[in-house]
Amino acid sequence: MAMKLLNCDTTIPERERHVYIKESGEDTTQYLPISNAPTLPGTLSERGCAFCGAKLVIGGVLKDTIQMIHGPFGCAYDTWHTKRYPSDNDNFQLKYVWSTDMKEKNIVFGGEKQLKQSMIEAFDEMPNIKRMFVYTTCATALIGDDPKAVAKKVMAERPDVDIFVVECPGFAGVSQSKGHHVLNIGWINEKVGTIDKEITSPYTMNFIGDYNIQGDTQLLQQYWDRLGIQVISHFTGNANYDDLRSMHQAQLNVMNCARSAGYIANELKKRYGIPRLDIDSWGFSYMASGLRKVGAFFGIEDKVEELIADEYAKWKPKLDWYKERLTGKKMAIWTGGPRLWHWTRAVEDDLGVQVVAMSSKFGHQEDFEKVIARGREGTVYIDDANELEFFEVIDMVKPDVIFTGPRVGELVKKLHIPYINGHAYHNGPYMGFEGFVNLARDMYNAVNSPLWQLAKNDVRQKELSV
Amino acid sequence: MNEKIEQLVTFIQQNCLWQFFSRTWDREENIEGILTKAAELLTGKQSMLETTADKCFHADARILVSDFKSQFPWIKETSADDVKAILAGVKERMRQLTITGSKNEELNIQNY
Repeated sequence: MAMKLLNCDTTIPERERHVYIKESGEDTTQYLPISNAPTLPGTLSERGCAFCGAKLVIGGVLKDTIQMIHGPFGCAYDTWHTKRYPSDNDNFQLKYVWSTDMKEKNIVFGGEKQLKQSMIEAFDEMPNIKRMFVYTTCATALIGDDPKAVAKKVMAERPDVDIFVVECPGFAGVSQSKGHHVLNIGWINEKVGTIDKEITSPYTMNFIGDYNIQGDTQLLQQYWDRLGIQVISHFTGNANYDDLRSMHQAQLNVMNCARSAGYIANELKKRYGIPRLDIDSWGFSYMASGLRKVGAFFGIEDKVEELIADEYAKWKPKLDWYKERLTGKKMAIWTGGPRLWHWTRAVEDDLGVQVVAMSSKFGHQEDFEKVIARGREGTVYIDDANELEFFEVIDMVKPDVIFTGPRVGELVKKLHIPYINGHAYHNGPYMGFEGFVNLARDMYNAVNSPLWQLAKNDVRQKELSV
Repeated sequence: MNEKIEQLVTFIQQNCLWQFFSRTWDREENIEGILTKAAELLTGKQSMLETTADKCFHADARILVSDFKSQFPWIKETSADDVKAILAGVKERMRQLTITGSKNEELNIQNY
């Protein structure tokens, strides 16, 4: 089939290079969608901005850190708690949002004075918090404010605080992906290696690219605790700012989301010689395989086998109950990038679900290599899909359920197709053995909910029947 | 032998994340490191595990070999020389699929 020009794209034929349908015998050396490229004029992208990739995805997860957003307050509000990443300190990071509230006068006369005042005010209002991220936004980057200089002044005046500046305005890249990159590289350049933690175990690792969505990190932490592995840094689920300054101390980097955090793992390998071990944390078979790899690295295979046996005994019967009822269902995954390749075979192997369409907002070609290698023949693979493409693909593949974000989710709800929040989950966590049962339960509830049929009733025409 | 090589390559393509690291040099290192360790494990040769990188390749190889043995029973009946030749063929094919033949335009960017 090769690359596909959808009917809705006849006026923007360049979109053909972004849409692929896999056929028997094809591989990624023959066809690979263009990705991480500028959105084309005329297409209504679902992408977020580069600032959002830094703040909402990675930095904002930290549980002991003020997130000062230097810009108009909309940039702060729109990247505040739309992703549900709790913490074990009463969810400090979800309770508060900080902004320098830039107005027209600040744009005309410069915003550095306002930034400094906001930073001081925030530290004074929250005297127990001594760590801060500062983000530039489009407005403050365009007028040439220098937040690093301001941060230096504040740190000089207050030696007990530490501040990290992320200079990644929304326009800096084609999607969220640029924000991931800037934050990763900035952090390793400026902060890694500045604090040494107490080492309490012969086995130490960083767990990278997991953001504690609805408790993912906390669920997996139970496994690491049981195995006696000290996680030096979670990048960045349920993490403290200073934990991440000690990443250089780990013996191993275990990588989950390679898209948002592969950069820092690669740099840790290059600069500190810490090897990178990629695993999938969603799905039974994948989780077991990942744990076995970690166990083989540390030489604790027996402990890992005990853990897997206990988890299987507890959760596998529940998973199988759902598998029996979900086998043959068709699913679409329209998320950021990595969940396409993490999930496509996991749901097929563990739940018998067929993934018939996948779309990535910010994946790179590396992500498409992974997902096409793992994905089914006949499945539609799209980079940076637009609204009309979503509608056309739904007609083509007729999914029973769509895992996507609230933006696209609201679209598909109007077609009476159930959607599950593929970014922040419906009722997670979804990682680990217990988590994948949660995912299965949410999928089962979605496809069997009577609401979708009820919603088709026109209440002006007839009485509701349940 | 080519059919056996393709069976193993297909399994790796569908299951292993290490083949798709970000850059050419990472992919080359993983293909060489992990598949060499896999060949050693399959032929009963003692592996050198002097560095953390060696241990990491070994960890991935351990799981890969276990999967190979359960998915492809013929591998247990194959002679050491043939295993080495098959794994050499797998390496070559993986390089072609993920490096030399790859359409990924980011593979040779110098920085991460």
